This record gives sequence, C-alpha cells and structure tokens, in this order.
Amino acid sequence: MIEVRGLNLSLGNFRIENLNLTVKEGTFNVLLGPTGAGKTLILESIVGLRKIPGGQILIGEEEVQHLPPEKRGISYVPQDLALFPHLTVEKNLAFGLRASPKNFLRDGSHLARLVETLKVEHLLQRYPHGLSGGEKQRVALGRALAPSPRLLLLDEPLAALDPALKNEIQQLLISLHRSLGFTALHVTHDLDEAYLLGGRINVLIGGRLEQSGQREEVFLHPRTLDVARFLGLRNLFPGRVLKTEGTEGSMTIGLWGRKIVIPPGHTARSVSTGEEVILYLRPEEVMILRPGKPVKESLRGNIFGGEIKRILDRGTHRWVLFRPSGLDVHLEVNLPNYVFRNLGLQEGQEIQVAMRRESFWVIPTK
Amino acid sequence: MNFGKTAIIAALVLFLFYAVLILSLLTFLEGPRFLAILLAPDTLFSIRLSLVTATAAMLLAVAIGLPAAYALSRFQFPGKKVVDTFLELPMIMSPVALGAALLVFFNTPVGNVIQERGILFVFEFPGIVLAQFATIAGLATRLMKTALDEISPRYEAVARSLGANAWEAFRKITLPLSFRGILSAMILCWAKAVGEFGATVMLAGTMAFKTETMPIAIFMSLASADIPKTIILILILAGIGLTALYAVRLVEKRAQVL
Repeated sequence: MIEVRGLNLSLGNFRIENLNLTVKEGTFNVLLGPTGAGKTLILESIVGLRKIPGGQILIGEEEVQHLPPEKRGISYVPQDLALFPHLTVEKNLAFGLRASPKNFLRDGSHLARLVETLKVEHLLQRYPHGLSGGEKQRVALGRALAPSPRLLLLDEPLAALDPALKNEIQQLLISLHRSLGFTALHVTHDLDEAYLLGGRINVLIGGRLEQSGQREEVFLHPRTLDVARFLGLRNLFPGRVLKTEGTEGSMTIGLWGRKIVIPPGHTARSVSTGEEVILYLRPEEVMILRPGKPVKESLRGNIFGGEIKRILDRGTHRWVLFRPSGLDVHLEVNLPNYVFRNLGLQEGQEIQVAMRRESFWVIPTK
Repeated sequence: MNFGKTAIIAALVLFLFYAVLILSLLTFLEGPRFLAILLAPDTLFSIRLSLVTATAAMLLAVAIGLPAAYALSRFQFPGKKVVDTFLELPMIMSPVALGAALLVFFNTPVGNVIQERGILFVFEFPGIVLAQFATIAGLATRLMKTALDEISPRYEAVARSLGANAWEAFRKITLPLSFRGILSAMILCWAKAVGEFGATVMLAGTMAFKTETMPIAIFMSLASADIPKTIILILILAGIGLTALYAVRLVEKRAQVL
C-alpha cells in the first residue's frame, strides 16, 4: 500500500492542505482533476522531486518522504516521456537496472519478457528520435517498468496523442496491468481516460481531494457539486430538504414546487431538514411516457408535462432538451436511438416525462 | 534596393572591414624573415606560454564554472540574481581595470598572505593564468549555463526515479546531452584567454621568457618598432582565434544534426 498522509505544500498562492491519498498494492489508480488542481505537485512530491514541508509518504510501512528519488523505488513517466535521446532503446530500457543491458536481455528475464510484451524487440538498437509516437510510449513504459518499481507514476503521458493512438496505448496499459499486476497512479484531466483506466478514481479540485472511490461510484454518485461540475454532469437542480426519516431514512425534497421522496442511501451524506441540496438526475434515467400508456404507481408523483425545445443527434444517442411547463428550467434527456424512433419525437412537441425516485442522487451543498 | 539586400550588404561590409585589416598586415610582410622570426626562441616561447596558460585558465574556469552553471541553471537560491549579474562584470569591465584590481588585491593583507604562504602570482606564471581566468570565468559560466538550460530537467528527474543519484544523473544524462554546448564554451573561452592582454599585463608584467604571452609580445615588439615581428605575431594570434571560432561552428553544426 502506498499512502500520502497529511500532505501540506504551497507554491505561490496555491496551497495543498492535509491531503490524504491511498493506493492499494497491485491496483490501477487515477488522479483526476482539471488543469491547475495540483496533480503534478502531488506527483512530484511522491517521486521525491519536491520537498514537502509537512506530511508523510509511506510505501508499505516505510516512510519515504525524506529519501531522495533514487531510493524510493518509484518509476515516473512524464508527459513528454523524456526518453534519453543519446541512448539506444536498449540502453533506455536498461537504465534503471544498474548494469549492462546484455545481462538483462537473457531469455526469460523480466526485461526480456517486457520487451516481448511491448513488442519493441526490433527497436532495441535504434535511438528515440527516429521512433513513432506509439513506439516512444512503449519504450517509456518499458523503461519505467523494467526495474519492477513499487509504484508507477504516469503524468498525463497520453495527453498529446491523437485519438487512435491514445486508444491503442490505453488498451496497452490495461493489458500490461493485467499481466504484470504493478501498482499505478495515473494522472489525467481526461474524463474518458479516467473512466476507462481507473479502478479507483481520486478527484482533485483546487488542491483538495474531493472524492475517492471506484469509478462507477464517482461518476454516478458525486460527493460534491464541484466534482459533479468537473465531471460535466448534467441535470443538477437546486432543491430543499423538507423532511427526513431519521439520518438513514428516506428524504423528501422540494423540487419545482413538488415533493419528491427519495429512498434511503441516495445521498453522499445524511442531510437535515431545511438544508439546501443539489438533486442530480442522469440524462439516461429520464423516461419519456407514451401517451395513454398506464403509469406505475411509484412514478405518479414525479411526472412533469412540458415541451421539447431541442433535439440533437449525438451519433450514439439522441439528446433531448425538455422544458417543464411553467418552469424556467431545462431537463436534458439522453435517449437510445431506437427509443427515439419508436416515440417519433419532434421539437416543439408536448410530452410527459417521469423520473424514478431511485434515479435521483442528493448532493449536499455545504 | 530592398531591405534584405541592404542587410546583406551591411554584413559584407563588416566582413570586408576585418578582412582588409588582416590583408593590410601582409603588405608589410617580408617573406625571407617570416620563418626566422617565427622560429626565433622568444616567439616560440610566447606561443607556447600563451597556449599553456590559456589551457590552464580554461580548465580552471570549467572546473569552477560548470558546477556554478549547473546551480544557476537548476536551482533557486538566495542571491542568485546578484551572482548572475557579477558574472557579466568581466564582459563590460576593461581587462586593464580587472588586472589592476587583482594587483591591488595582492597588496592587501589577505593578498600578501596568499603570496607569501601560498602561490606567487604577481609577475609570475600563475599570475598569467589567474588574469586570464578572471576575464573568462564569468563568460564560461554564462555559456555553460545556456548549454545546460537547453536540457530539460525532466531527463534528470526520470533518471533519478530510475535509481541514479544526482551525480550519476548529471554524468550519464545532462553532461552528454549538453556536451557540445559545453565544448563550444570551452573553445571560445580558450580562444579569448589566448588573446587576453590587459589583465595579464597588469598582474604579470612584460618579462621576456617569463611572462611574455603572445599579446604581450605584440605590444612589446610594436613598442620597439619591430613591425615584421608584430605582424607575424598578430597573424598567428588571428590564425589561432579563427581556427577556434571555426571549430565552435563545427561543434554546433553537428549538434543540430543530432
């Protein structure tokens, strides 16, 4: 287990205070956050490139915050990869092995297997400047993994790649992780990449770790409004808690002049009566009702009539902008293309939508 | 006439200006005496003395200037701006003034102790080296800092994470990557040291067969109206200088190919 405990550091006006981060051995972790959130600062602290005024960095039981980078056993792949331009691919790969490459490329050795997995055998005698973007990525990954590091840190190495190559390297990272089982912390601001790679996602905003959790948990159940906004979540509506059934019970929330009862557990933390909250409803979870079709009992309180303001074809689905009658709000709805065709929807059409109680997620604002 | 052509003509005028200066020397050259003067013991001594002292001064400037350049390129420390400014002092201060300051220093109590208990500098061989060092150390540091600035610190960061300590990362990564830049700095500073006159003449004097470097020999032979010898010495000095400058261009040109 790699742990950052109570990390404090500042750079100019930017501060990181009492940050805690845990990375379990053998797992792939993502540090996700917008530009300027402090991701690189944290990474440099873990590698040992930056002295930290306060806090501990632990690898297993060992405190490493006082150790120089070379004593930490943490490999680091920066965004520009920093392949050593004056060394051949073979010497780049063997740099961390502290001995001549020949001894390490024997059949069956760790490096030999790595070279095979990464498909870089034919590049060994070449220099980095002649390699393609994908080849450089492979060599950089191989060089970082060759010494079997206790932690692999990846600082947005895929940020500058075109989409096809990015996809290829993401797949490579996943399969490398499956076959080698290393511990990784991958820094990125790319939501899709975070979702694809991250078993566990840590969301960093403004120097604060806002949320850590499995990727589904983070993307479906954001703990704070900042996380929800950074994740680009739609349908975030302000409401007020009217009633709660104990701290663990169901909540009644006032939204658009209605009372919506939300089942227990659909909140990041227990809320109290009178509290202002944000209700989040995923655009995929909004149901458009067929006229004349009977409606389930549980949905009856949560049906809104209104007008379709806009329809966009997003390729994989249709995006429908719905405005409930008499309200100055817009609800976004993502519809599978076949559902959209069956319903035969058009802009300006009056429809009814229903929201399942279970589809709501309550985000406290304080 | 357009702007581009005018600019090129300006460059050619500058070239001609220096070329005419060199060519004019040849008009006074007496062929048969050329070899005699060139091979005269005092000429050979001056050439040898200049080459040896310049090499020593350059090596000393690199030994101290390279770590200093590394510090200025990589670290933030208190007083960095002041240090950086002082490095430019020898470039704008007259070498004569620099040499005079050195001479004054060796007449202070501290300077006296160094002279009496350590090395004799005034009017001695070490004085030549010190005078040359004083004029090139700042420039050497500045040029090597520029060479180091061009190498991203991330290479070293990655090398450190792969188990290399700070010295190994510098020796295996930064040094080979910046080698051409450092080499051209060395050549330039060596050439500047070979041509150094002002500081040397103040600190080491003009003693024949002792402190008479090439520039000093030029000064002395002109003072005694020995024009052919003056010209030959100037031509040798110009030859060494131009060869060094051309070598710098070769080094840098190959750097661009890499």
